[in-house]
Amino acid sequence: MIRGGRSYVLSPPAFSNDAKRLLVCTANSVTIFSTATGLPVLSLDGHTALVTAVIVVPASTPASKILCYCWTASLDGTIRYWDFSVPELIKIINVNLPIISMVIPSLLSQTAETNDKSPKTFAYLSVENTKEPEKESGKALRGQIKKCNLTNSRMAGGMTLSETKQPEIITVSSSGKYFGIQFKRKLRIWKVPTAESERAVVKKITLHHTKNMNVLAFHPTQRIVAAGDVTGRILIWRGFGDRTFADGDGLVSRKLTNNEEERPGVRGDDDADSCTTWHWHSAEVNVLFFSSDGAYLYSGGKEGVLVVWQLDTGRKKFLPRIGSPLLWFTDSPDPSLSSISCADNQIHLLKMPSMEILKSISGIKLPCSFPEMCNGLQSGIAFDCNAGLVALRTENYCIQLYSLFDDRGISEVVVCERNHQPGDEVTVVVTLAVLSLDGSMMSTAEVKLPEEGLGGLVCLKFWALGSQNKEFSLSTIVYEPHRDAGISAIAFHPTRPMAVSSSYGGDFKVWVCNNGIQEMDKPLPNSGWTCHAVGSYKKKPMTAATFSSDGSVLAVAAETVITLWDADKNILVAVIGETLMPVVNLAFAGKSEYLVSASWGSKPQLSIWSMSKLSVSWSYMLHVEAIASAADMSFFAALALLPESSKWNETSLKGRDGVILLFNASDPVPIFTWSVQKAKGGALAFIQANQFAIDENELDGKPHQSLLAYINGDHEYLLFDPQGKEAKEHSTIRQEGLGDLEEAGKFGYASIYGELPQFDPKRKQASWVPSASLERPWETVFSGSSHNLPPLTKLCSVFLESLLEKRTVNVD
Amino acid sequence: MADLLVEQPQEITISKTFPTKPKLKSKPKTPSKTPESKYWSSFKSHQISNLISSIPSIDFSPISPHHFAAANSASLTLFSPHTLSPASTISSSDVVTSCSFRCDGSLIAASDLSGLIRVFDVKTRTPLRRLRSHARPVRFVKYPLLDKLHLVSGGDDSVVKYWDVAGESVVLDLYGHRDYVRCGDCSPTDGEMFVTGSYDHTVKLWDVRVDNKESVIEVNHGNPVEDVIFLPSGGMVATAGGNSVKIWDLIGGGKMVYSMESHNKTVTSICVGKVGKESGEEALQYRIFSVALDGYMKVFDYAKMKVTHSMRFPAPLMSIGFSPDCMTRVIGSSNGIIFAGRRKAKEDVGESKVGNFWALGSVEEPQRRALRPTYFRYFHRSQGEKPNEGDHLIMRQKKVKLAEHDKLLKKFRHKEALVSVLGGKNTENVVAVMEELVARRKLLKCVVNLDDEELGLLLGFLHKHSTMPRHSGLLTGLTRKVLEMRAEDIRASDALKGHIRNLKRSVEEEIRIQHSLQEIQGVISPLLRIAGRR
Repeated sequence: MIRGGRSYVLSPPAFSNDAKRLLVCTANSVTIFSTATGLPVLSLDGHTALVTAVIVVPASTPASKILCYCWTASLDGTIRYWDFSVPELIKIINVNLPIISMVIPSLLSQTAETNDKSPKTFAYLSVENTKEPEKESGKALRGQIKKCNLTNSRMAGGMTLSETKQPEIITVSSSGKYFGIQFKRKLRIWKVPTAESERAVVKKITLHHTKNMNVLAFHPTQRIVAAGDVTGRILIWRGFGDRTFADGDGLVSRKLTNNEEERPGVRGDDDADSCTTWHWHSAEVNVLFFSSDGAYLYSGGKEGVLVVWQLDTGRKKFLPRIGSPLLWFTDSPDPSLSSISCADNQIHLLKMPSMEILKSISGIKLPCSFPEMCNGLQSGIAFDCNAGLVALRTENYCIQLYSLFDDRGISEVVVCERNHQPGDEVTVVVTLAVLSLDGSMMSTAEVKLPEEGLGGLVCLKFWALGSQNKEFSLSTIVYEPHRDAGISAIAFHPTRPMAVSSSYGGDFKVWVCNNGIQEMDKPLPNSGWTCHAVGSYKKKPMTAATFSSDGSVLAVAAETVITLWDADKNILVAVIGETLMPVVNLAFAGKSEYLVSASWGSKPQLSIWSMSKLSVSWSYMLHVEAIASAADMSFFAALALLPESSKWNETSLKGRDGVILLFNASDPVPIFTWSVQKAKGGALAFIQANQFAIDENELDGKPHQSLLAYINGDHEYLLFDPQGKEAKEHSTIRQEGLGDLEEAGKFGYASIYGELPQFDPKRKQASWVPSASLERPWETVFSGSSHNLPPLTKLCSVFLESLLEKRTVNVD
Repeated sequence: MADLLVEQPQEITISKTFPTKPKLKSKPKTPSKTPESKYWSSFKSHQISNLISSIPSIDFSPISPHHFAAANSASLTLFSPHTLSPASTISSSDVVTSCSFRCDGSLIAASDLSGLIRVFDVKTRTPLRRLRSHARPVRFVKYPLLDKLHLVSGGDDSVVKYWDVAGESVVLDLYGHRDYVRCGDCSPTDGEMFVTGSYDHTVKLWDVRVDNKESVIEVNHGNPVEDVIFLPSGGMVATAGGNSVKIWDLIGGGKMVYSMESHNKTVTSICVGKVGKESGEEALQYRIFSVALDGYMKVFDYAKMKVTHSMRFPAPLMSIGFSPDCMTRVIGSSNGIIFAGRRKAKEDVGESKVGNFWALGSVEEPQRRALRPTYFRYFHRSQGEKPNEGDHLIMRQKKVKLAEHDKLLKKFRHKEALVSVLGGKNTENVVAVMEELVARRKLLKCVVNLDDEELGLLLGFLHKHSTMPRHSGLLTGLTRKVLEMRAEDIRASDALKGHIRNLKRSVEEEIRIQHSLQEIQGVISPLLRIAGRR
């Protein structure tokens, strides 16, 4: 069993201490990517629900940079402590409440005091209170901020810092002194007590604003907090908490000044010196982040533009055209590397001063919402069964080809030459994408929506796979293939370069590629698809089309009846019917004589038609989302949505709303059933596993193994053997990416100016080990341009340390 | 040079600029140019148009530099092949019909309508001999290829004569044709054999050594024969007449090998030429060139029996000549224009270089000092400087060239973009910009914002193109919207009213066309149905 297609952007990622790894929360696990190659290296498996936070234990000394420890928190109510270099689970703390967010301020502030005996570590958790029964849906305070003693692995007793309606995400300052949440129109900020203990009083202040706020960020050194709201404004409070957080010895010499003139912009009795507003973003701000020296503020939002504000002057720099709403910005210990996570499930690694995109970690594209009127009846997900690829429509008018076995994006095909701007009205929609059986051809249909009845256009495109470069290139464009009627389905002939497109306008067209007639290997210079035949049946809208497995019969559904054609001669062979509602999906059940049809609507139906009797063989009243049939078997699988009436036993189904049924076509009793989640908008396919078997040697040398692939509505997928008894989970990360990881990682100075020839890299590394005698470390510490050096506070300790004589000890 | 590093700036761009693209037109299914076709079109065309009447005959001198003579009215003009300009003119007393160089290129024979054949010295242009025996106009005269002393001629008296030039006397009168003799050619392998073609549809092969004065072989072309030539092997002839060019095997007893019928009108002249390429599949092969009254020149590969190139000229063509060095192709037309074509002389340069090499073999090239960054000259290197070995090449990214309207669209200045593209000539671009505006939901806003002059521009465009079937889907709808939205402004301005009148006229015209098309369809569709029933 292979799982994949998980979202990388639900929670912020974290960099390892040497900035060579990026830890990304992916559903129930944490996947570790190499920043040099952008490929997955390891994964930390163990959580049983969505992982919501990952925190790398920072290195206090340069020596501990190689240490790889991290804390993770998950919705399953556990906090786990890992050594992610191995990977190994070290510790589990059970909180018993779903954790939405976790911060550990003491890890950040620890850096100053090095040789102390390890103090107790406290985490602040944002949990969802599920224990109390819901009294009234409106008033229940479900979100709680709690404190947890990680050293003793128990909750700090009775400490609930705050209760909110919804669980909120906690933000911590990079110095570890403050943390806060934003909820509705308020910011609530706590000061972390200097001497941590379970009962330590945590002081808090609240700041108010007139709009709902989305995000907040703390300045690393000064008492400045920034917050972004839904209208795109960025508010910056300076000197927050002067009264409350001033060291509590009663030395509050400052007068209470409620005077508006002295505290510009601050609302009411809020504890801050001043509040300024910056407004550039046109839509909500999702990302706010102060640079590590506190001179710049990064902000980003729905427009997909990363803005860098100079904090003193308010001057802006931009990284535009990211093409998708930004969700998270993460800084790395390497000052030249950071990452942004976008809503289209991509993480871009940025080279920092110049903000160039170095690498992109692209996950499966998330489903995008299309305007109602052009929602195709099919889900628009196509499979290449031999190569194990899936083709998905993306929001930016592309088709993403995603490898199911490798769990990574292969390529993107730009269908419409347009740039997608998040937030704009959708005017062009890719409605269909179909791959041929051997994966060498692709056909897409797109619709340009008219402006007040002007200029709408339906466009059919055929793509051919290049022989070497594995990229699809455009072969033919057909404008308005069925006048102005929309295309309902496209199907490829299983063996020959032939395709059929059916339209709601009442006709279908058979297209042939004139390349196929040529016997020679070299393609004709002007190969293209031409219309071979046009057919229609009583002017009824054609809603679905498919070829039989040997290609001899073309079945086209004309609303409620199914017409069978000889595609070559364009002769109507037979008409079978009819169903109660229009047929939306057709498939031949493998090599058998059965045709499967699915119809939706008020009386949904799954019908199996016998080709020999030309009549219905059996049928169910089920809303079938997708049908898949294996090419060489008589099985077929159907993904059915559970009807509304069965929702009463919701507890037993645990949110599962769909069933995969595996049928033998001649038998109405399903062979297997599996219940699945988020079946709406899902898709099914049988995938040839032989390629996979060669790589993994797991499948006991069975020759032609078919795996059933299921993609749910969130584009998470699952590959399993439909005949297998136990579902065995394979690790999806291939170990091939490891080799080139180590030498590819350049760091700091080298990443900007290249490798210096006179430095021996081995010696350089050795100089960081404290046991070895240092020669002249100041040369390496301060080399590089000033803007690229770590802040002086960090450098200074290293420099002074290097001046001290060190006792040589044996280090194993 | 192999280890030149080519570094490309590695950059991942998330989104690019896409210029607006007009919709693709469906391409006609003509195959792209073959290498041979490219070769034949590489002859740089040149028109010589200061001649008076039609050019019935062109002949190339067999010796370098291959001057050519064109018969034109009552004169014979000699042209230089390099400049393609007249070098000298030989005047005659009557209209010249045919001319032929002797094999050494020093003499030229010309026949005229009065029945006289004259032989001139090419250099001095002095008439040397006058051969008078034909009673009617002489239509062809030919020097045998291997014989300097005799001439062959034929005329409208249907007699073929074999002349002794020095003695101005007829050696043989060959009777046999029953109609005008219009053409003939001498064998390239044998000085005593020649063919003639006549309007009696026959081509006869003559051998002066045969006593009975009868033709050796006779073939029937099926049409009045306009031209006949020997192919270089000497065993085959090609004949032109009617719309066809036929190839005959003489050794095989006069059997027809192939009939090429790709001309639409009478083929007037044919000749043989060689592909002057040094390499390639078709290097140094012979081709038959044919010209016809339909204005086409066709190149025919008689090994593969295939027309390999076809070229159109704007006049009926009368004669063709191809220089023996494969450099010049000359076509004479019926209205006095010579379409000359000359290939760029690459081989000449190569040969001269080789000559230099042999002559100056011992002289060393002066060693040029390598440029170093310490030299001042280093900083004055030009753009044409070649990279040295070991230089790092950094490729600059190609700049995307954007049209004016694309630049404006990029800046979201939608109305300016529309106006700028309307000012241009390209209809496709206008429609592409309109579609882009529709996709941005800005077209109607643009229409509202247009001022009177710009609105006139738009209406003028709509008047011209809104009934074009290719764009009517978008443009008729737009026209209606424009009229609805800007009715007030149109009423206020006379210039705009004029546009509207034009628009109305073109729409009415289109409606009329559609009506008549429907009538035609009404007539045809029952017929089709009946035909389908059978």
